[in-house]
Amino acid sequence: MRRFLAALLVIGTFAIVTAVSAGNRVELEPYVYDYIVHNFEEDTGSKNAVAAILLSYRMYDTMFEALILLAAIVGMTQFLPRPGDMTGGPRSSATQESEDTTDE
Amino acid sequence: MSETQILGESIIIRMVVGMLYPFMVLLGFYVIVNGHYTPGGGFQGGSVLATLFVARYVVFPVDDTDSERLHTIQRLFLMLILVVPTALLFTGVVTRYPALRGPYLTLMDLLIGIQVGFGLGVAVLRFAFFQGVGKTWHL
Repeated sequence: MRRFLAALLVIGTFAIVTAVSAGNRVELEPYVYDYIVHNFEEDTGSKNAVAAILLSYRMYDTMFEALILLAAIVGMTQFLPRPGDMTGGPRSSATQESEDTTDE
Repeated sequence: MSETQILGESIIIRMVVGMLYPFMVLLGFYVIVNGHYTPGGGFQGGSVLATLFVARYVVFPVDDTDSERLHTIQRLFLMLILVVPTALLFTGVVTRYPALRGPYLTLMDLLIGIQVGFGLGVAVLRFAFFQGVGKTWHL
């Protein structure tokens, strides 16, 4: 029953999102596309429109994209066990506590 | 990790990876430096550079690299990535002097590439040695 409800939720969300997006189609005028395609070479000196966008037009995006890696590494440093932590097996915290008390 | 386990690695893998090593460096820096002419750029070339750490780990799975120092280098280059565009691009210096455009793009590609290379290298080493002991595999 729970699986059926979960599947219903997923399918229903998909159907609603698809219906809403199909009902409200907005035709974007290609201002940015035209501007970048015609001017990127004079603006940035790049021969490659992707590099021009990545390193000049959308530099903020690239800067924060580079920050993601730092966030990932900081998360790994915090959440992965350190070399000494895993010696006691999966219940390392409990065994370590008992070892600490016996040492004292 | 004893000496015999290290020597037990296949000699074919050691020789092939040793021969491929300079070409991996070459390909990585080629992709980075040609980022504003051909497909590629900092992130892709940096990922290629990070395979150096993976290759070294496959051949020699010993935790003798100070990943904290690599992380410090990565943070240094990340700081440069945040500082250089703020000083050159957002102030309009690159727009005013067209001669700076090419060097600016190359410099940013290099900074991003080295930062991504070191960052992915740290990630790989952290995951490989998170128990303090490298997992040796025999192919």
